[in-house]
Amino acid sequence: MRLFEATHIFKHDWATVSLANWRKYPNDQTPHVRHVETLHQDVDPETGILRTERLIMVRQNVPTLVRRLFGGDTSYVLEYSEVDPRKQTMTMQSQNMTFSNLLSVGEYIAYTPDPENASHTLFTQSAQLKASGALCRFANKIEDMCWNRFKDNAHVGKLGLEQVVSKILAERQAMIVPQTVLT
Amino acid sequence: MALCMDSIDEACTKFKHEYDSCFNKWYSDKFLNGKESDDCTKLFKRYQHCLLKALDKQGLAKMIADARPAIGSVFTDPKDADEKDR
Repeated sequence: MRLFEATHIFKHDWATVSLANWRKYPNDQTPHVRHVETLHQDVDPETGILRTERLIMVRQNVPTLVRRLFGGDTSYVLEYSEVDPRKQTMTMQSQNMTFSNLLSVGEYIAYTPDPENASHTLFTQSAQLKASGALCRFANKIEDMCWNRFKDNAHVGKLGLEQVVSKILAERQAMIVPQTVLT
Repeated sequence: MALCMDSIDEACTKFKHEYDSCFNKWYSDKFLNGKESDDCTKLFKRYQHCLLKALDKQGLAKMIADARPAIGSVFTDPKDADEKDR
């Protein structure tokens, strides 16, 4: 089993970053994320928490050997998230559904205001990668390989989110500045 | 890069885009400001109905139901999604 853990500070407020997370896909940095579908979504009437279940389809270029081993390059991930607007927390849990009998990847993500600077957002990510079944003999190799891929994806994911934040800020700016150039 | 993501099923893409843009606006204008409203509920029902049917057709519904406990999801599929349209 391998663990991946990371934290990152986004230098934007929580409301903006959490909106950017909803609008994250598509972005130029993460072309491997092909579809994101909202399966269920509601606001818990008792707690006021927004609950969402999404299906994510990923298609990634992988070496031929890996594609043969896993029987394809398309995988599905199920994600459940909760947003508490009063506490300003967004938490997401996800699990791969495809190939999960060979390799299980469970991920946990949280966005909260940075305790040291309330106008920034603290991003916390942890993932557990576990090879099993037929791949047990190669477990370490498979886990290492997937850990590296996971790390790369986590990196471009952050870049992608930053890109969406910039877009949101530019949109807000455009609403404030009168568009005198428009004819 | 396109502005919006298409749905897994082409037939649901229009519904998805309408819902996504309603949701994004509702999220920042209403939800985060503590205002109760169900602006997007109708759009979601239409998108969800199309999507769940498509997932069922593609044989993904069971896989999703099986994965739910692992992520602590509170949801179950609505009964009518199980009824096949023939």
